[in-house]
This record gives sequence, C-alpha cells and structure tokens, in this order.
Amino acid sequence: MTRDREQETRHVETRGGEADDALQRLVEEAVRPVPALAPGSDLSAAALTAEVNEQTPALGLRVVRPDSRTHVTGATRYAADLSMPGMLHAAFLPSAHAHARIRAIDMTGAAGSPGVVATLTGGEIPVNSFGSTYQDQPILAVDRVRHRGDLVAAVAAETEQLAREALTKIRVDYEPLPAVFDPLEAMSDDAPRLHGPSNVYTSKTIVRGDVERGFAQSDHVFEGRYTTQMIEHAPMEPFAAIAVWEPGGRVHLTTTVGRITLARTDLARTLGLPVSRIRVTASILGGNFGGKNEIRVEPALALLSRKSGLPVKVVYTREEEFASSTVRHPLVADYKTGVTADGRLVARRVRLVLDGGAYASWSETTVGKAAILATGPYRIPNIHVEGCAVYTNKTVGGAMRGFGAPQVCFAYESQMDEIAHALGIDPLEIRLRNGFQEGAISPTGQVLEAVGLTETLQAAARRAGWPGVGA
Amino acid sequence: MRGGATLSVAVAINGQARRADVPAEMTLLEALRSVWNLTGAKSGCDAGDCGACTVLVDGMPVNSCLMLAVQADGREVVTIEGLAGFGHLDRLQAAFHLASAFQCGFCAPGMIIASKALLDSHPAPNEGQVREALAGNLCRCTGYAKMVDTLVEIGREAGKGEAS
Repeated sequence: MTRDREQETRHVETRGGEADDALQRLVEEAVRPVPALAPGSDLSAAALTAEVNEQTPALGLRVVRPDSRTHVTGATRYAADLSMPGMLHAAFLPSAHAHARIRAIDMTGAAGSPGVVATLTGGEIPVNSFGSTYQDQPILAVDRVRHRGDLVAAVAAETEQLAREALTKIRVDYEPLPAVFDPLEAMSDDAPRLHGPSNVYTSKTIVRGDVERGFAQSDHVFEGRYTTQMIEHAPMEPFAAIAVWEPGGRVHLTTTVGRITLARTDLARTLGLPVSRIRVTASILGGNFGGKNEIRVEPALALLSRKSGLPVKVVYTREEEFASSTVRHPLVADYKTGVTADGRLVARRVRLVLDGGAYASWSETTVGKAAILATGPYRIPNIHVEGCAVYTNKTVGGAMRGFGAPQVCFAYESQMDEIAHALGIDPLEIRLRNGFQEGAISPTGQVLEAVGLTETLQAAARRAGWPGVGA
Repeated sequence: MRGGATLSVAVAINGQARRADVPAEMTLLEALRSVWNLTGAKSGCDAGDCGACTVLVDGMPVNSCLMLAVQADGREVVTIEGLAGFGHLDRLQAAFHLASAFQCGFCAPGMIIASKALLDSHPAPNEGQVREALAGNLCRCTGYAKMVDTLVEIGREAGKGEAS
C-alpha cells in the first residue's frame, strides 16, 4: 500500500500566512469540547498504523502529547488530588538524630491526641524491611536510626494538621551514636559501622589488559580526583499515596510509584500477604526522575488503614521529600591515565567510591553502571576499574537518571580536558583520536555496533562553531 | 498548633459566588483544594518557592499557599479551572497544549496562571518580560524553553497586530 504522506501529514508552522491559518484551525480544534479520543498527533489513525516491516512516520513530525490537554486545564488528577469518603491523613515522625539507638518509643500522648484514630510503630509491621537489592531498610525504624530521614512512628488522624500535631506528642528515647558523613572516612577501620562488619557493601571490578605495563609504556601519566555532590530529584510533586485495607482482606494502594510490580512484591513481602491480595495503582506522576522507583511508607499506610478501617492518605511536605526520599549518589573518583605524546590513551586506572547513604537501595545497580562506563567512550587497551558503595549516615542514594553514568562522565571528561590542555591538543581532536569506532570493544567485552560518536562530535562541533571545524 | 477559630468567607471563584466556614489558619490553597474541590492549583513546596499554587486574586498572580483563605474574603479568585469552560481550552491553554510545553504537568496550572497575568498586563511581552514573569514558577522536566518560546511567539503575534 502506498500513501501520500504529504496529504496525511499536517505540519504545524507558526509563521507565514498559510501557516497562520493552519495554526488557527488547530487552535479551534483544540478549544472544542474533549473528544472521545484525545488528539495525540497530527496524523490520521491510518498513517499511524504500520504495515508489516513498515516504519511509521514519526521522526521529524510535530506531535502533541496525548496527556497535555488535561494538564493545561488543571484536570489531571495526581495522587495528592485524590480523596475518598472517611479518609484519614497520616503523618510520620522523622528521626531526631543522624545515628542513634532507640531505647523506647512512647505513643501514649499521640494516641490520645485530638482526632487521632490509629498509630503505628515498626514492631507492628510483619516484615519491617525493604530494598531493591538488599532488604536493609526499615519502613519504620525500631531499635536504631541511621540518618535524619529515617521515620520512627506514624499516626493517622482526621486531618493532616491533627496528625502533625499528634507527632509532637510522641516521645522517643534516643541514645546518640557516633556518625560518619564522609564516604572515605566510612571505609576506615575505626569508622562507626552502620550495618554489618564493613561499611562497604557492594563493589565491582573490571580489568582488561595490564594497566601497570600500560603506564610503563606511556609518555605521560595524569592523575586526578573528581568529586560530585548529592543531588535530590526534587520532583514538583512530592510523594503521596492512599491505602485502603478492604474488608475482604485485599489491600489497594494508589501511590506515586513508577514500578508497580516491584511495589506489589514489596508490599506482599512486608505485609506477609500473597501478591494476589495486593493491588497497586500508579497515579499520574508529577515527575519521577528515578526518585519514585520503589516503595517508601506504603506498608505502614496499609496497616494504618487496617487498624482504623478507613482509607489513609499521606502527602509528604517538601522538607520530607528532601530528607526521606532517595538522592543521586555523591562520587569520589580517582583517575590515573597513561597517554602517548600524541594523546592516545594507553592505560587507565579508576577507583570509584559512591556514597550510598544509610541504606543500599539501588546502589548495586549504580556501582555497576558507573564502573562499566567509568573509562568513557574511548579505546583504551589497559584498564582497571574498582567501584564500591559505602554506608554513611546520610540520605539514601537511590535511582536517578543514568544510575551513576553522569557522575563518571563528569570525571573522565574533566580529565580528558586536562590531558588535552597539558599536551597542547585540541579538546575535540583528542576525543576524535581516542573515541569508539564501529566494532569497538567495550570494557566488559561488548562489541559495539552502530557507533556514531565521531559523526556526533563533529556535528556538535560544527553547530557550536568550534574553531577549526568547517561549517 | 490548632487555633480553633472558624471564620466565614465569601469569595467569587471563577465567576461564582462561594461561601464557606474555614479555620482561621487555613491557606487559600488548602481551601481551594479541600473545601471547594478545585485541585488544579498544586502544593509543591508550601513555602512560596515553586509557584505551582499560583492563582489570580483580583487579577494579581499570588502564591495561594502563602495567603490565608480569610484574606480572600470579598475578592475575586481565578484558578486554572476558570480559564475556559469545562473541557474547553482558552487560547493560552491551547497554545501551551499544541506546543507540548509540559511533560509531567504538575507545574502547568501555576505556569499558565502566571502567563495569563503577564498577558493581561503586557499583551505583547518580549523574552525578558516572559522570563521575569515566570521566574517564580519552577518546572523540573522541561528546561522552560517551550513555555518561553510559546509566550514569546504570542507576544510577537500580538505585537504585529498592534503595529499594523
């Protein structure tokens, strides 16, 4: 079947007389009442239905996001916008210390506070731990807090304000412990331990060739330390969820989580229920960026619903979102790179220390990805990469766009610039000399196909008006 | 913590006269969302930093999280829900929609209300005026480019109209 794409494709332009008419028609179309099917693109349904082995026309076309109509009218319902009859509001008490033993938690005052219907502490949670790789994080801390974002108790009350008022009446008896905030200090023998015998809890090593021989063969060797800071996802929408423990024994969570199947498994495990009794509805997210990739206090919310017999909702404040969510791992990276006089990379040794904060969360994934990508998109015959994550008494390092890739990119590209500068080679040229070509072998042995690095760099340099690159 | 006092307020919201008895310490944002069920305005920070709660009060853009509901007594409030009839888009909403100016959309209500306030006072804004007007509205998805471009384009078209 052949199609006249010109006729089916309506490009929207905003300049020129004909285009003005086209825009006017689209505006008129947009301001009509909501049709049964939201207009998703400028193409007819036929044009978007591919024949076998046919590429749908998509690249280069201007399409309208199918969900933007409700966004611009304010009609999109995010989790915090939802409510249910009889719904209670939960609030969670954060730790008062970065590291402390909990001697006792007295909920008496909170339980008797106006409007409070139910309270909860960690001891009431059937399996009080979660984590995507290692289940080392409590939903509610029981005998120990390991960072200020740990939560130690929960209340459900008639209003959010009454719930927060009740939090002030919880008495927690803490015994403060020495805390460690620097990842390198956390690796020393005399550092306070957060979990087991060592604060180092996940590592990855990648070796190819012989770096020491590579350094010996090099004309110059460069060494440098590169560090990146903790970054909060700061989605516009803070965490929010509603739990309903249904009379028949099923649990329904509506929550700002991006991975519903993972959340369902975690809920089943922590609540001691089969997954068939757990239903998770992912609400429309007001930004995720990786920070909404796992559960937070949903099991506690579910248990508050069971204790009260009512739906229970929580909405984090911005402060809670900063303290009790995950962040991008800070990185300390040591790079040693041997090069020839004309700037060809011969050997690179990398040591990565990722500050994982108080719990493991997605650190294993992050260390793995950071280590795999640590030497950059460059042909280096001899490499040795050691990466690890360590516990500190800080906000938990979790998933965030790229899982460690942006941190190591900052490190290796910074060093590439330093090498180029020291050798008097153009920064673009040194990357072209060393960059992956078609068929290059990655540090973990993958033969790379469809490698467009050279073309991409050259195109970017042209567009940027880089000196010495033709237009 | 809890004041206990409840006060009666009368507010014209999106052209309709509304009354309610609200706690003295309740913010306008909370009243809009929980008393009048207008959840378009969002709470992103509750501290006047993010602009997601922006509404018009007597035509002025305000952070409704920093204003008490009782302070809106006798005033006219316009929220995102009031720009066009239900299911409809006004020209500004249509322009943002067609430009796919938003991704997650959480900032959209505040961003559009702030834009409306700008266009009401400056029908043909330049880029500097656009950026100044949106300075109080944060977006974490887009980098602002499509929002600014959309408003600059509207300003350019309006400027043409004035010139001819």
